[in-house]
Formats: sequence, structure tokens, C-alpha cells
Amino acid sequence: MVTLTHYLALSALLFGIGAVGFLIRRNALIIFMCVELMLNAAGLAFVAASRYRGLLEGQLTVFFVLTVAAAEVAVGLALMVAIFRTKRTTNVDELSGLRG
Amino acid sequence: MLQGYAVVGLYLLLSFALLGVVLLLWWFLRPKKPNPLKLETYECGVQTVGDAWVQFRAQYYIFALIFVLFDVEAVFLFPWAVAYNQLGLYAVIEMALFLLLLLGGLLYAWRKGALEWA
Amino acid sequence: MELSWWAHLWSVLPEIVLVLAAALMMAVDAWLPEGRKRELGYWAIGGLAAALTVTAVQAAQLAGGIAVPYEAFGGSVRADLAAMLFRVIFLLAGILTVAISMDFRPLRQSGEYYILLLISVLGMGLMGAAVNLVMLYLALETVGIALYLLAGYLRDTPRSAEAGLKYFLFGVFSSTIMLYGLALIYGFTGEIAYARIAQALAGLPAPAVMAALLLILVGFGFKVSAVPFHFWTPDVYEGAPTPVTAFISVASKAAGFAVLIRAMIEAFPTAQANWVAIMAALAFVTMTVGNLLAIPQRNLKRLLAYSSIAQAGYILIGIAAASPLGVAASIFYLGIYTLMNIAAFAVAVIMTNVTGSEEIRDLAGLSRRSPGLALAMLAALLSLGGIPPLVGFFAKLLVFAAAIESGLLWLAIAGVLNAMVAFYYYIMVARAMYVDRSPEEEKPVWISRPARFTLWFTVAGVLLLTVLVYPLYLLAQMAAQAF
Repeated sequence: MVTLTHYLALSALLFGIGAVGFLIRRNALIIFMCVELMLNAAGLAFVAASRYRGLLEGQLTVFFVLTVAAAEVAVGLALMVAIFRTKRTTNVDELSGLRG
Repeated sequence: MLQGYAVVGLYLLLSFALLGVVLLLWWFLRPKKPNPLKLETYECGVQTVGDAWVQFRAQYYIFALIFVLFDVEAVFLFPWAVAYNQLGLYAVIEMALFLLLLLGGLLYAWRKGALEWA
Repeated sequence: MELSWWAHLWSVLPEIVLVLAAALMMAVDAWLPEGRKRELGYWAIGGLAAALTVTAVQAAQLAGGIAVPYEAFGGSVRADLAAMLFRVIFLLAGILTVAISMDFRPLRQSGEYYILLLISVLGMGLMGAAVNLVMLYLALETVGIALYLLAGYLRDTPRSAEAGLKYFLFGVFSSTIMLYGLALIYGFTGEIAYARIAQALAGLPAPAVMAALLLILVGFGFKVSAVPFHFWTPDVYEGAPTPVTAFISVASKAAGFAVLIRAMIEAFPTAQANWVAIMAALAFVTMTVGNLLAIPQRNLKRLLAYSSIAQAGYILIGIAAASPLGVAASIFYLGIYTLMNIAAFAVAVIMTNVTGSEEIRDLAGLSRRSPGLALAMLAALLSLGGIPPLVGFFAKLLVFAAAIESGLLWLAIAGVLNAMVAFYYYIMVARAMYVDRSPEEEKPVWISRPARFTLWFTVAGVLLLTVLVYPLYLLAQMAAQAF
């Protein structure tokens, strides 16, 4: 029997993996994929809670999250291509044109 | 109900802790000999030739981006279509506006030359 | 109560005007020949000014009691005086930013730039009005996505593209963490509207609420660039085109505070003891770190970046006070800060156009080169530093008074000490302009007409509000009562 707790545990795990990946990976593309993982983990939590309570708002929220994620993909990839054209790399450690 | 969330918190902590332990272990155990060879895709075997990044034509990527953007918008059409019979004129106007805005975006992309292959 | 369709539209009328303006500008941009794109700046100013007029009328109606605050679109947005006043801040910041962008050399031939700016202002208006979780997230992302593109707008300049990517990565990371917090809140309560969340949270154990609250605060902290979520700030401010930096530093920050204030007061009143402690700590760390790191800066944009982090700290003091006075002080501060900071950045834009550099030492001799420009910068710096009698002083006075009233004396003292530190680096910039000499002194400084407008408007605004402190305070107080 798959209960709410199972879904939430899965979502927490996905979120944790994404967050750690964001912090330790160095390739901008993979960092961004980790964010997508976290985004979907949040979406899963919304849907699971919504289903458990028999409400609709959570499922509706996920529609919007999906759309936002698509827009983020477009913007993120465009920025990465722009960086790659000038720098020939997407390694965030090599992005040091700005003193940070 | 709330115990369920406590488990979630536990899992979250666990996933962080586990990765933390592994990373720490790595850090303690691994020999530290930085070498450009280690950054290669394949450390041994056949030398990689060229760069995987430049092999795709940029056009693919622009088309893919435009496709992703417009594709996802369809997600709003499905619930609208399912509930169409219960919704009034308001929903029709709303969806018409939504599609008009999308159409505007498509026209803009077309005028800006994003749909040309050359 | 069933709302009429007009009441629904009225609640987001400024946003509707902006959508129409943006759509129109897209059409104009697509058919406007190359070489005339600068004209789109005037279109943008027109659209923003139209929205500003609408907002001003609405604000007057709400302030005068002709209109009553209400929630529209199924409890997504609220039309109240606070939402309208924040819109005034965003729209003003938008107009002033467009005016300094039009003759900023690298941006001259860009149409999408203005459209993206309009869309981000639109999202900010919704951020200020949002009263449920879905609208909050959507508005925040609308602003974010437009701003990531604006920060990386000069895609052939490595520094701008890099700023864009950094802003993007930190931005999506923090907003996703916030989204997870929102999901937890939804899971705990089954509600998405602030008011109902507040009721449902009352019976829940504090640690659970606290965990969700912390996750949500990551997203807000990023927007207002509070320490420890500030790492992106100096890099993005330095790399982004200077007008965009000006816009991010005022409008995006004000929008962050707008959602922060509303969410804390309306959705988390039961956890007030907790978030007051968090806000006080954030305020203390933010202003201290911002001020200390500003001192060694040699680049004007980086200096202003750290200064704007410190300013966020002062504004957080007002929120930590968690009283009507505190909220009014924060809104007051944000309004003033918008004018002062844009004035300072306008000078930076003009000097970058002339010298091609953003170093503080290139301001040397400005007082002889262009006395008016130096005076404008001096007024902005002194007001940012909170020197009496300029209006920036009253803004600081109000937040400190609010802290003392709420029993946070230590925070007020820390704030005063911080203001003294800040005074040092503002004076260093003034010294470069007035004391240092430079061989370039004879060359005149070219200021375009739109940029001249921004300078006059902001400096006159700061001076005028110095006289009219009390009416502005009353307005902020009325807005604070909306919560």
C-alpha cells in the first residue's frame, strides 16, 4: 500500500539529492538539471498532498509549476549558450570574470 | 498525519547526511593529485575527438526551445476542455485571450527570424 | 460576495495596461526598422506612465475611502492601498530605468529590452498584490525570468552573460526551495490563501511550521538580497548592464519586501515570535556584512551593491519590529530608497558612457567637470548615508524608532553604529568627486535628455520629500493599515 508518507518521502529524497547536486556539481547544465529535480520534487509534494486531502488546488499549482519550469529551461539554456559562445565552457568554476 | 511529515523531515536530513558522509569519506580517503587528465570524459581508452558541444547546429536548439515553450502551454487546454460544458462564456473569452497572447508570441518569433532555418 | 467583472479587472488594471503596452510594443518592435529601436524607450515610458496614472487614481480612491479593499480572482490578488503604493514604486523605478537605458551605449539598439522590463514590472505589481501561494510563486517567477534575461542581456559581453547565468542559477535554486516550503505549507493546511493558512496553522506544532517558514524565507531572502542569501548580489550588480543593475537593486528588492511583509503578517501571524527573531537576526547580519564589505570596494557598482545589501538590512529592521509603525517605516524607507539609489546609478550610467569604466577613481574631478552631476551624486550618497536633514535620515529614524518601540533596542543601536560605518564609504566616493584631481577635468560630460530627466526627478524627489516627510509618512502609515 502506497501512502501519502511514501510520496512525501520520495519527494523529500528527490529534493535533497537535487539540492546537494546543486551545491557540489560544477557544470552549469547539470546544476540546472538538479534544480529541475528539486522543482519536480516540490510538484510531487503538491500533488500528493492535494490527492490525499481530495482537493484540487495542489494539482492546479503543478500545472503552473510545469509552465514556469519550461520558461526557466528556455531562459537558462539561452544564457548557457551565450556563455558557451564567449567562454567555450560551462564550468561554473571558470566563470571568474567577476570578482566573487 | 503530522508524523508523516516528521518522516519526511527525517528523510531529508538522512539524504543530506548520507551524501555528506560520503563526500567527507572521499575527501579523507582520496589521494590529492590534481591532473588535467582527470577532467577528461574518459580517463582511459580512446582519446575523445572534438567537442560534443559544437556538433549540433544552433538551429536545433532554437526550435527546441520554442517547441518546449508552446508545448507546455497545452497543459492548460486539457482541463479547460474537460470542464468546458460547465464553464460559461467567461472561460471561452479567457482561453481566447490566452491563445491570442500565445499567437502574438509566435508571430513575434517569426518576425524576429527565429523560425528561419538558415 | 460575488464580484462584478469590472471589480475583477479593477484589481489588476495596472497590469492589464502593462500587458497591452507590452503586446503593442512587441508588434512595433517586430516591424520597426533597425536603427530606430531607441524609440521603443518612449513607448515603454508611455506604457509605464499610463499604468502609473491608473495606479495613482486607484490609490487615491483607496486612500480617500471611495473604494474599499477586496480580494479578486478567487482570492489570488488583493486590491488595497499597500498593493497600489508598491505598484507606484515599481512603475516609477521602471520609468526612471528606461530613461537611463535609452542612451546607455551597449543597450541602444534593443527592442526586447524594454518589453522584458515591462513584463518584470508587471510581475512585481502582482507580487505586491498576491494573497495566495500560487499567485505568489507565479508573480515571483515572472519577475525572476524577465530579470535573468535582462541581467544577461548583453550576451556578447562575457561579464553580462556570466552575471545573467549566476543570477539565473541562484534565482531558480532559491525560488525552488521556496516552492518546496510552499508545498509543505499546503500539505500541512490544505489551503493556498494566506488568511485561511493563518487559521489552519494555529493548531500545528511549531517545528513543522518553522521548517516550512525557513524554506520560504530562502526565496524572499534572495529577492531582497539579505545575508546569507546575498552571494549573487555583487557579481550580478557588477556584470549586468548598469541600468538593469539599478532596476534590480530597487524594484526587485522592493517587490521582495512587498511579498515578505504580506506573507509574514497575513499567513504567519501565529508564528510571529519565531519570524521576528529570524528577521532581527537577518537585519543585523545583513547590514553589518553589507557595510563592512562595502568599505574595500573600488568599483562603483560593487560598492553600490554592498551598500544596497546594507540598506536591505535597515529595511528588515522595520519588519522585525512587526508593528504598524515598523511596516510603515519599511514602506517609507523603500519609497525613499528607490529615488536615492536610482539617482546614484544614473550617475554611474552617465560616467560609464563617458569614461567607459566603473571605477570610483574615475569620478575624480567630477565636481569641476560637471558640478551638477557631482551635486546630484552627493545628494544621493548623503541621503543613502542618512545624513540629516535629507530624507534618508528620517527613513532611518523611523525604522530605528520602530525597533525601539518593539523592544529591539539592541537592533536600533546596531543600526546606528552601522550607519556610521556606512558614512565612511559614502564619503570616500564624495571625496573622489570633490577632492581628487584628474587630467580629464576639462572634458565636458555628456548627459542625454532622458538621463537628465531621471537625475532631475530623483534628486528633486529626494529634496522635495525632505520637506514633505510627514505627508509621505502618513501615506505609508495608511498603507501599513492594509495588512
